[in-house]
This record gives sequence, C-alpha cells and structure tokens, in this order.
Amino acid sequence: MSVGKTILLCDDEPAILKAAEFKLRGAGFRVITAGDGEAAWEAACRDCPDLIISDYQMPRLDGIGLLRKLRADERFAGLPVIMLTAKGLELDKRMLQETLGVVDVMVKPFSPREILARAKALLEVETPA
Amino acid sequence: MTLIEQGPHLMSSVGSLWGMWSGTPSSSITGGGLLWLAASTAVILSATAAAWLVYAVMRRRERRLADCLADLVAAGEHGEEDRDFAVRASIGEPFDSVLIALARRLSDAAAATSQRAELHTALEIKYGRLTAELAGLKKVLDLVPDPILICDAAQNVSFANRSARRLFAMDSDSAEGRALGTILRAESLWELLSAMLRRKNAVEQGTAWECETADGTKRSFQIHLYRSSLQDDPTGADEEKAFNVIVFRDMAALCDLRRRHAEFVSSVSHEMKTPLSAIRAYVELLADGEGNDEETRDEFLAIIDAQTTRLQRLIENLLNLARIEAGIIKVNKEPQSLNDLLEEAARVVEPQAGLKQITLRRELSPLYLPVLADKDLLLQAAINLLSNAVKYTPDGGTVTLRSRLDDDSVLFEVADTGVGLTPEDCERIFERFYRVDRNKDMASGTGLGLPLAKHIVEDVHRGKMSVASRLGEGSTFRVLLPRASHQTVPAAG
Repeated sequence: MSVGKTILLCDDEPAILKAAEFKLRGAGFRVITAGDGEAAWEAACRDCPDLIISDYQMPRLDGIGLLRKLRADERFAGLPVIMLTAKGLELDKRMLQETLGVVDVMVKPFSPREILARAKALLEVETPA
Repeated sequence: MTLIEQGPHLMSSVGSLWGMWSGTPSSSITGGGLLWLAASTAVILSATAAAWLVYAVMRRRERRLADCLADLVAAGEHGEEDRDFAVRASIGEPFDSVLIALARRLSDAAAATSQRAELHTALEIKYGRLTAELAGLKKVLDLVPDPILICDAAQNVSFANRSARRLFAMDSDSAEGRALGTILRAESLWELLSAMLRRKNAVEQGTAWECETADGTKRSFQIHLYRSSLQDDPTGADEEKAFNVIVFRDMAALCDLRRRHAEFVSSVSHEMKTPLSAIRAYVELLADGEGNDEETRDEFLAIIDAQTTRLQRLIENLLNLARIEAGIIKVNKEPQSLNDLLEEAARVVEPQAGLKQITLRRELSPLYLPVLADKDLLLQAAINLLSNAVKYTPDGGTVTLRSRLDDDSVLFEVADTGVGLTPEDCERIFERFYRVDRNKDMASGTGLGLPLAKHIVEDVHRGKMSVASRLGEGSTFRVLLPRASHQTVPAAG
C-alpha cells in the first residue's frame, strides 16, 4: 500500500504540479509540492520525502543545483530522484545518472500515468490487482 | 684665325713700321715732311694704342666666354655637345656661329628642361595620388575587424592592419619589415603558417587556430591564406615578387550566433513543451476518469483551455517576430495620429485592467502628434506595453499612458505602479524569452511581448524604446518615434 510514502514534487509550472499531484494523491501517496529548487530543499529537510520528482529548469535553484545540494547531505545520499524535463537531446543523461544518481529522466510532455507507474515501482508499492 | 692669334702679328707689323721710321736718314727729310712724319707717327701710335685696347678688351671677353663655357662643361650637367662648344670656341671657330649654335643648344635644352619639369610634375601628382590611395587602402584594411597580415615571399611582414597589430601586440611602425616568425608570439601559429606557406597553394582556407590574449580571453580564428604575385606570371619567374595575404577570420561572432541560436531553440522548445505538457496531462487525467465530480472536470478543462491559449499566443508571437525580422510582413506605413492609436490600444487593454481594478489613466497631449506608422504593428506594440504593465501591477494600482511632442520626435510612455525591475532585469528585459523569475507567478507570458514591441518600434519605425524602473515602485516604458513631416499630416477629421 502506498499510504505513508511521501513524494516531493518540484516544478515552477503550477498546472503541471497540480496534474502530477492529483494523480499521485489519487493513488494514495502523500504529496508535497515546491515551486523551485530552493523551496524543494527546504521541504526535503522538513518532510524527509521517500521520492523526489523534480523539474530541470527552475528559478532560484535549478534541478542540478538541488541534486548537488541533496547528494552533499548524507541524509539524502540514497534518496531516489526522478528528473522531469522539457529538455531533449541536449540533456546529459549519463552525467545525471552516474554523477548525480538520478534514477530516471522523464521528458515533457509527460504522462501522469507513467509518473505514477515509475513512483510505484521505485517505492516498491504493490499495484492492486 | 681668331683675334687671339692675330694679336702677335699686329704687334710685329707695328714694330716694323717703327723700325722703318727710326732707320730712315734725317737728311732726306724736309721740314714739312718732318711735320707730316710727326703727325703720321702720332696717328700710327694712336691707332696702335686703340688696336691694343680693342685687342685687350676682346681678349678679355673671349677669355671670360671661354671660362664660362669651361665652367658650363665642368658643371657636368651637360653632355658631349656642350664640351664641344668650348672646344669649338677655343680652336677659333667664328664666334657668331659658335654663339648661334650655343643659343640653339640652349633653347633645345630649355625646351627639354621644361618638358622634364612637366613630366616631373605629372609624376609628382601621380605619386601623390598613389601614396594617398595606398594610405586609404591601409585605412580601409585597418577598419576590417579581422586581423590581416601581408608578407612577401621572404616572409617579411610588409603590412599588418590594426586588428593584427592588436592581436600580436605591435606598434604601427614596428610591424613593417619584420620577419613573420618573430611577430607571431605563438609557436603553434608559426608552425601552422609556415606549413601553409610551404605548400604554395594560391588559396588555403579555414585552418582553425585558437589563442588566449593577454587578458585571458579565448579567441578562435579561421586562418585564410591568399597567395598572389604582382604580375600574374605562369612561368613563376616572379617568384620573389609573390606576396601572401593572411586573414584571421574571427569566429567569435559566428560562435556567438550559434550559441544564441541554440539558446533560442532551447527556449522555444521549453516554452512550447510546458503548456503542451499540461494539456496532455489533463487530457489523460480526464480520460482516466480521475475527475469524478463536475467541479474537478471543469477545473481541468479550464486549465486545458488556458494552456491552449498560451500555446497559441506563443506560436503567434514567434511567427510575428520571425515574419517581421525576415521582412515577410508587408509594412504599410501611413500618416497616423499617435493619440488616436494610443486611445485604441487603451480600449483594448481596459477590460484586462478592470479585472484587477487597475486604473488606466490617459495623459495624452492636446496637440496633434503625427507619426508615419503601420497602424496594426504600432498598435500591437502599444497593446503589448499596456498589457504588460497591467500584468505586473498589483490589484488596485495605476497604469498611466502619456504622450507628448519632444523636439523632432513624438513620444509615449506607459508608466505603472507595479513590481518594478532591478537594473539587471532592465538590461535583459527586451531579450527573447527573458522573464523575471520572481514575477512568473503574477501572470503567464511568453517572454516575447516586449522583444516584439521593441522590434516594431526600433526596426520597423526607426524609433527608440527604453525602460526606467525601480524595484517595488514601478516601471516606465518610453517609446520615441520620429515625428512625421507636416506634408504627410492628413486633413483633420
């Protein structure tokens, strides 16, 4: 059951935040949201999420900055992070995965269904039959 | 025989006369005869003296003339012919013929001298013109932003333009005549260039070379080598006259253009994918039956609608910007009343201001302000400015639209009591897709409205758009347009 698992969603587009939040919450996850990397860092410190789904391009602190900050803190060293981005080929996926430990890179436009499936798989939640 | 040689003979004849007189016995001479003899003697003596005088004077003149001729010849300025005059005069040729020949010779010489003087003047003019032309060409080369070096076949630099002198840290005087190898300052460049020069191709293009200048800036060049000879000689006999023009094409502008293009594509992609992403997500949620109640469904549909509008506006702005920049849009400039145009723009934005209880104040000039403008485009620019002001002014604020005459220009201003901009924002606010992060929540935008307005004002209407702002106090966007001449002002009505 997904109850009790917390997901931190981070994106500067309210419409996108809302769609992902709606889907994940509907599946029983506890969802917290942040509008930029700095707010996400504060939320992570406060709520210790089990998974972070973050945008790449954001004001104040972008996705890379947020990841660096997280990986530098031992509390979040093993925390799974999914990167959700509008960037395409120009993105250095290897660097994201190998250096910053991003478990998955999802490209916008995204499907809420896919996000939910990835979140469930990562948090080893059994899909109800 | 000349007088010079006649002189001694004259003397001897006078001498024999004297001998005759002194040798004659006195007895054979009467008293009257004595008187005659005395008179004749006096006459002969006077004649002799006179002859001596004439001889002496002529002799002196002759000597002077001979001296002059000798001087003339000694001056060395003249040829064989002139020496010949001196010789001819000295060997006793009749003086008049020598003088006539000399006069003819002098007149010929004068003619030749004047011809030479004409030629000299013509050459001087030509030389002056060529010198000026060369200086002009050097100046032109100095204006070329790409560094250019010209060197001869022996690889001595004969010219370095200003950019080249700056790149290789040389004075204008120190460049010429120096060996190419000594000025380059970089081993790698010398290796590159000497290899290019060795190959002796007429043209060598596009060898890349990067360097770091004294202040640490990285510069990248493409080196082009053009080899040429002064006379196009296929036999190669003029090998030593060949010269090489080395052009260092600065790649900074091209690199910058590529970088900006990549940034632009990336921004467009991001700006398009964001609303598209939202649309897809909400359509999927609705299809999955996630929105159970009508309220949620309506909310999702409203979001889809808003994001579709956003996408549509972005595409329109992008296309308009591209069309104007490419000159595809037909610009139709006609005399307009600026005040009428601003009034129309204000009416368009009024409902948007009303929603936020923002007062749209008009302070338009009572004068008729004529502008030569494309009405649709300038109206679009004014609407973009007004709508922008309304977007970034908190509820209940004021947006003021002003116009006035300003010397040879007309100007209008859109001033708001909004959130304001930092100096850094002011510098970048007209860049495509630049949006102030901290204000993104206030309103949706494409980051293209202001660049488009600036483009319409400056590139289409030869005007000027600027912004003055203080963070937290508001911003004023000012547009200066050339005032249309009185001839183009339409009749009032």
